[in-house]
Amino acid sequence: MSLSILGLDTSTAATAACLLRSDGEAFEVEPGLDALTGRPGHSRELMPAVAQVMDAGGLAFADLSAISVGVGPGGFTGLRIGIATARALAQADGLALRPISSLAALAAGIAAPLALPLIDARRGELFAALYAQGDELWAPFVASPERIVELLIEAGLRPVAAGDGALRSRQTLEAGGLELAGAGSRSHVVRALHICRLAAQASDVPPEAVLPDYLRAPDAHPTR
Amino acid sequence: MILGIETSCDDTCAAVVTTAGVLHSNAVASQGLLHSRYGGVVPEIASRRHLELVGAVVADALERAGAGLDDVRAVAVTRGPGLIGALLVGVSTAKALAATRRLPLHAVDHLHGHVTASMLGDEPIEAPYGCLVASGGHTFVARVDHPSGFRTLGETLDDAAGEAFDKGARLLGLGYPGGPALDRLARTGDPEAFDFPRSLPGTGLDFSFSGLKTSLLYRVRDLGDEVARARAADLAASYQRAVVDALVARSLAAIERERLERFAIGGGVAANSELRTRIAEECGRLGVDLWVPPHELCTDNAAMIAGAARFTPALPYPAYLDLDASATLA
Ligand SMILES: [Zn+2]
Repeated sequence: MSLSILGLDTSTAATAACLLRSDGEAFEVEPGLDALTGRPGHSRELMPAVAQVMDAGGLAFADLSAISVGVGPGGFTGLRIGIATARALAQADGLALRPISSLAALAAGIAAPLALPLIDARRGELFAALYAQGDELWAPFVASPERIVELLIEAGLRPVAAGDGALRSRQTLEAGGLELAGAGSRSHVVRALHICRLAAQASDVPPEAVLPDYLRAPDAHPTR
Repeated sequence: MILGIETSCDDTCAAVVTTAGVLHSNAVASQGLLHSRYGGVVPEIASRRHLELVGAVVADALERAGAGLDDVRAVAVTRGPGLIGALLVGVSTAKALAATRRLPLHAVDHLHGHVTASMLGDEPIEAPYGCLVASGGHTFVARVDHPSGFRTLGETLDDAAGEAFDKGARLLGLGYPGGPALDRLARTGDPEAFDFPRSLPGTGLDFSFSGLKTSLLYRVRDLGDEVARARAADLAASYQRAVVDALVARSLAAIERERLERFAIGGGVAANSELRTRIAEECGRLGVDLWVPPHELCTDNAAMIAGAARFTPALPYPAYLDLDASATLA
């Protein structure tokens, strides 16, 4: 049975949306590479992108089978905009909600047996995970690019890396012998089409349990 | 019915209000205890919590109103001012909910909500009127000639009144949020025991509370820990008297200067018992009618946001899809 799924991702500075219709046709807003380095504009961009793909596919929200959303890891504010939007869209029409790892979606766009999706975590660190043909080998974690190179050398693995984190830390990663997708490759962008495709295989999660995969505690220290 | 959503600071709020200003529900999930460990609101923690709570709070507000989204004619949301990460959770939620039904959306100024809170309920205040809004985040006096807006007559130049209470409470070891605790302790103390500075209005109607806070700090230090602890009630009462004096003095100056016949108070500090008593006395003396909304309409809430939306034009679908939140609303 095929489902009509709306997918969103706001884990990087880019905003991605896609409608994967039950007949297999996809209507996608795929951000350009320049969006990865620009100022995030999720609040201004996300709902127009959602409306655009829904109109293009000729579906109303109530026609959807599920809403899927990239839950990061990634920028906290962007993730909250995406997840708040997805949860509200699902709540309004009682739709199923399916959270998808943004790193898994990024990996799905890397054409290599071993994929290392890297999302910029700021403060000199990257969010990373490792996938072999879609299977998660290393669960999402946060580390410096130097440490990621070290871990791969220790494990004797040679994946292909992509993502805004790969672009940002290109020098360190390449100096460590890592292969990166080309500078102009679209595989650096988290595509909502991949969110939808992964969601087609995923199970529903109660809306209140759909939250960002922050991977970092907030910067705050109890005073007592 | 208008569905209101408010997430500008540390309370996750949703409410259902009719276009006539009748309150059907006013749901608030307060994060106060969560932030008390940090001695103040931590924006990242507040934003995370809003996301966890907002769906349930909206569902609760609709359920208590005996309504579903299909009964809602417009959605109203606080666009600012406030903590940007917190605001964005509410704005994203409101836009998405509204878009599923192609409902119009009102982007509401949080301060406009406070100013018009007294227009909700059975006996709404009528413009023109004056208004004092004092809370942990804002302190200002305003004039309302038409409910669609307000004119700020004076505002705090540094701390908000609620901040002055919280900081004072902390200096007296009362924890956070300390406003209510300071209010309780002050009732058993002598408000004349200590002399704290008052900057009374000259020509302007602006407020300043930072000097007062510093003065309490020095007073506690001069007395020494033991004496300060023994006389905490007197310190609290005197300190509170100074804050309330400033609020009352500006309110009266505004009433006189603007020749106002009606006045309202709002914001979390409007729950302070001494402020309520004093401003009621003074308004009574001047023959000015005073509106003091119930506590749940003074502290941050979504009913005042839905209420304020009644007086401002809505953005039709799809004009609001690219709406952004604004920390300053400048
Ligand atoms: Zn407020």
